[in-house]
Amino acid sequence: MKTFKHFDAESVDHVLAILARYHGKTALMAGGTDLIGVLKSEILPEYPKIIINLKTIAGMNTIKMVDKECRIGATARLADIAASGLIQKIFPALAAAAESVGSPELRNMGTLGGNLCQDTRCWYYRYPDKMGGRIPCYRKGKGPCHAVKGENRYHAIIGGKKCYAVCPSDMAIALAALDARVKIIGPGGSRLVPILDFYNVLCTILNPDEMVTEVRIPEPGKNTVQAFYKNRPREAVDFAVVSVAVRLERTGDVCKDACIILGAVAPVPYRAVAAEEAVRGRRLHEIHAADAAKAAVKDARPLSQNAYKIEIAKTLVKRALLSF
Amino acid sequence: MIQTKNRQKKAITLTVNGNLHKLNIGDQPHEISPSYTLAQTLRETLGLTGTKVGCDQGACGSCTVIMDGKPVLSCMTLAIECHGSKITTIEGLADSITGKLHPVQDSFVKHSAFQCGFCTPGIIMASKSLLDRDPSPDPHHVKEALSGHYCRCISHYQVVEAVMDAADKGGQADE
Amino acid sequence: MNETYRFIGKGTPRKDGVDIVTGKARYIDDVRPGPMLHGKVLRSPFPHAEIKKIDTVKAKAAPGVRAVLTHADVPPWMTGMPRHVKVLDQRVRFVGDAVALVAADTLEQAVAALDLIKVVYEKLPAVFDMDAALAPGAPRLHDMFPGNVVSDFPAFGPNTLSKVVRGDVEKGFKDADFISEGTFGYENFANPLPIEPPGVIAQWEDEQRLTVWSGTQSASWHRWIMQSKMGFPDIRAITTQCGGSFGSKNYAPQCMFYAAALAKATGKAVKVSYTKDEHFGAFVLRLGSRFCGKIGMKKDGTVTALAGEWMVDNGAFSDMSQSQIAVGCGEAQLVINCENWNLSTKLVCTNRCPAGVIRGFGGQELESAFAPLLADVMTQAELDPVEFFKKNYVKPGGQYIWREGNLWTCRGKDYTKAMEKGAAEFKWKDKWKGWLKPTSAEGSQRTGVGVGIHGNADVGEDDSEAYIRLNADGTATIHASVSESGMGQRSSLCKMAAEILQLPLAKVHMTPPDTLVNPFDFGLVGSRGTYAVGSAVIDAAEDALKQLFGRAAPMLGVQSQDLETRDARIFVKGKPEQALTWSKAIGIMRSVTGYGEFKADYSVPNFLILFVEVEVDTDTGGIKLKKVTTATDAGRIIDPPSLHGQLFGALGSAGLDTAIFEETIIDKKSGHMLNMNLTDYKWRTFNELPEFNNIILETPFPTHRFKAIGIGEISTSPGPGAVLMAVSNALGKPLHEYPLTPDRILKACGKEKGNPK
Repeated sequence: MKTFKHFDAESVDHVLAILARYHGKTALMAGGTDLIGVLKSEILPEYPKIIINLKTIAGMNTIKMVDKECRIGATARLADIAASGLIQKIFPALAAAAESVGSPELRNMGTLGGNLCQDTRCWYYRYPDKMGGRIPCYRKGKGPCHAVKGENRYHAIIGGKKCYAVCPSDMAIALAALDARVKIIGPGGSRLVPILDFYNVLCTILNPDEMVTEVRIPEPGKNTVQAFYKNRPREAVDFAVVSVAVRLERTGDVCKDACIILGAVAPVPYRAVAAEEAVRGRRLHEIHAADAAKAAVKDARPLSQNAYKIEIAKTLVKRALLSF
Repeated sequence: MIQTKNRQKKAITLTVNGNLHKLNIGDQPHEISPSYTLAQTLRETLGLTGTKVGCDQGACGSCTVIMDGKPVLSCMTLAIECHGSKITTIEGLADSITGKLHPVQDSFVKHSAFQCGFCTPGIIMASKSLLDRDPSPDPHHVKEALSGHYCRCISHYQVVEAVMDAADKGGQADE
Repeated sequence: MNETYRFIGKGTPRKDGVDIVTGKARYIDDVRPGPMLHGKVLRSPFPHAEIKKIDTVKAKAAPGVRAVLTHADVPPWMTGMPRHVKVLDQRVRFVGDAVALVAADTLEQAVAALDLIKVVYEKLPAVFDMDAALAPGAPRLHDMFPGNVVSDFPAFGPNTLSKVVRGDVEKGFKDADFISEGTFGYENFANPLPIEPPGVIAQWEDEQRLTVWSGTQSASWHRWIMQSKMGFPDIRAITTQCGGSFGSKNYAPQCMFYAAALAKATGKAVKVSYTKDEHFGAFVLRLGSRFCGKIGMKKDGTVTALAGEWMVDNGAFSDMSQSQIAVGCGEAQLVINCENWNLSTKLVCTNRCPAGVIRGFGGQELESAFAPLLADVMTQAELDPVEFFKKNYVKPGGQYIWREGNLWTCRGKDYTKAMEKGAAEFKWKDKWKGWLKPTSAEGSQRTGVGVGIHGNADVGEDDSEAYIRLNADGTATIHASVSESGMGQRSSLCKMAAEILQLPLAKVHMTPPDTLVNPFDFGLVGSRGTYAVGSAVIDAAEDALKQLFGRAAPMLGVQSQDLETRDARIFVKGKPEQALTWSKAIGIMRSVTGYGEFKADYSVPNFLILFVEVEVDTDTGGIKLKKVTTATDAGRIIDPPSLHGQLFGALGSAGLDTAIFEETIIDKKSGHMLNMNLTDYKWRTFNELPEFNNIILETPFPTHRFKAIGIGEISTSPGPGAVLMAVSNALGKPLHEYPLTPDRILKACGKEKGNPK
């Protein structure tokens, strides 16, 4: 790996000061399981001059309830989130999402913030530089999205525009269904952004002088149920082909409210509003689950090789809804 | 305005298999670069080549070592970030004086739970760590704990047997 | 009756076991023969281009750089069949092909220097599949191969098989009750992908003497085969422990060229160790294989004729493809006993990563392409495939033309009983419901079963030599050029020698895999370790004993044939008190050396049948492998855990899973390999293991001293076709594309549109 300067962050303010001083020449490192791969393969034309280690910021890895809100620090490890009694009890969908990431070793290293901010897995984007040169593309600021006319089995079926790479984060999908917000701190202070607004087509809304410090999840109502389903080619060390996170509020077997989020189908976590409508106010019998499944993918416009993801998305929505 | 200490560490200390190492950060031959991974540092700087690098991208598990009680991928860990850590590698499992194998190692030999053996150190470290946390896992737990470990020869079946056998023996190697 | 043995057949710890579990075992990246430079390769961004200009000035001036080599200044060494691959060429033929070489003091400096080499390319049109390569006017990859068809090559002598012509196919088709015809491919270019990337360290001792260390499967190949490619230097080849090979690392001609060229240019030892990216993108893949033809069969399952063309895609260049075609042609005859053949072959080059030697060696590729055709004709005849395979594999007395072109009569064993026992364990008769019928169907979960067979007459291929030195201290040293890449064969050879010499296993050792200290051996290929290498070692042990007894007999006042030995003592048979130590017989300043050899024998094929049960989810297109049973006859098991390991290997090394998820994905416009990492290249994890049983019979094979035969290689080969059959049955629809991705499964389920209406 090419070298860089390495700073241990002492505090959030310290990070902000470094970001401000070395504007755009830095990379934030938490677990490193994504960033180190990006650096080793030299997939990006710009190589960071400075790596800032966030793990040294005291207290940024905690999981706690504060005022009916769960706060998870950005450097909390995925393994700790998956194993947390609190998370398992109150946010089982999030525990399941955390448990589905990578492998036990990767979960021991990877963090919540890192999972949310990881770069896409698009194989054109991640083509290693030393195998003939990195591949310029729209996402890198130059050229088309090669997936459109190329190999696109894992790319977006919904909402692709100019770049069809999908958001690889499993945690984002579960968190979106749980109505979580991301705490971002920058030079102008802090803000809380709903997960769905945290992403844009080409990554996240984070400015180069900002960082994620925490995620806040409201405690769900008493009659809430939730589930996370992930389809992937391999039962470990794999990203989602399609994932679904569902949160339902119900009275008896009638669904009062629903939040249905699809992962890996779009450049950002996709809220299937039509599917939510299809189940809202109705009994959860198979027929409605099937309606919701259909509605979930109504906006799908698959590329040449990924229409199969539509079928998988429908299946996952149906199975998730019928799991309660 | 906060005073920023924009300084890189000058040196780190690591406890590897019980031995304390002080390593200077820099670009001289005896120093480690800030970009050195833990795997590189163990292998190249400390000469502990038992830790293997397979994919070098965190997807094969062969570089697994135990750091502060948990199995981690040394190829995706920067050495500079391991300052103060306690690390156990495959070289640190057997008794350093008598050479007596750790029960998991012993069981792997007994079951020939390897073919080419390249993935084996990583698998053993993950297995040892599992048994430290859960002395009587069921085969499902063993498979889950090893799910990030790539073995192309397919030693899996014999590995699961070996780990279960080591667990059954309560972590005691046969005399 | 089987003899009873002291070591043979017992599971004994691998002799390298403790080294492996303690991290002491040394692989190529662990050895430091001395100070060395690091070599790196600049790789092509284009699938096909002419290098117009290379500017290396800046790279040469960069810190630590000791040499930069281009096509203009590399040695004139050549590899390939026929010779058509240079160390570096002015033409690049796949994305990732080598353009220039750098040697520097550190790896980081070598990598940094790559960025300083400026290359001007003239892009050429490229072809990524056989159709494009064979189309009129297609760009030609190599001047010497018009139409991109690689010429035949006498890899195994003048009559090397490049076609199978036997009997009268016209008559055969007339006699057939059923005929199937079609074109089917096995073109997913799977990667055997041992965990350890290849690496070579080279050092010139003088002008003519080259030492190479490598993490490969065969020291011999790096001497005897590479010598002919490099102008016959005296090569000393040493192999370290090898982190998996599956044929692919029998040798590494490119890595060795690069390291040796850089070592020559710098006068220093140079190490070229591939990254995993390079291992994926610029080493070796399976051959692409396509069969276009027809098969005729009678109602009773007798195959009456087989005709067609086998098209083979070897990528940018051919290293041993013609050898694989020859063996594939032979292996097809072993599993389809038919009097009338007209099988032709065509070897084609395309602008992708080259193919190499891989477990399955031609046979897996041909049989996997052929599987759908076989399934179709059996479907027509409503024949149980197990019955078909039992009927049609070559039995003792049956004949086949082997790779070198000779007609052989099988002297092996009847595998019918093994196949039946396997079927019984698998409960085939309960699970088989007929062609295109699921074993069970419940909601979206459908299960199906399939079966495949493979055989190989290479178990006695090529020649072997071995020495055994008996030492006065009561130890024995085997000199044989055998590397350890996972089969445990070095331990098994010690066991065979220990059994003959009646020494404790701990007293029998092997020299390191180093061609300087060992005689010729062709290496561990084609399952030849047990029969070929084993026989040479046994022969050497017996020769050594004969000499030992020759010395001891006069001392004990008896004839040689009256003696026996155990634990380094020599006894008169029946009179254990009349004894002598080896030390006395040999003399403390002497040793006894026995010589053994093995001459190639292609008359004893092995076979393996493999059953699979799959569960298909028709709503996600996912395939779950539920159960695998293999059944074979090993004659006599030398080391049970090692043999079981080889059979479990059906799930590894681009075997069975090439039908489910393994494939190399290449962009069809740019030629970039897209899934060259272990996240995107799919592999089976610990938590997706099927139930797996091995049924191993031990019917004595008289051809071997311990009645054994090798089995290891063939376990990967029957899997892909068996999975295709099982999934087809589960879904009730014939499927014939590899691999069966969710996309293909859902299409077969009529859900290809997917879009909500």
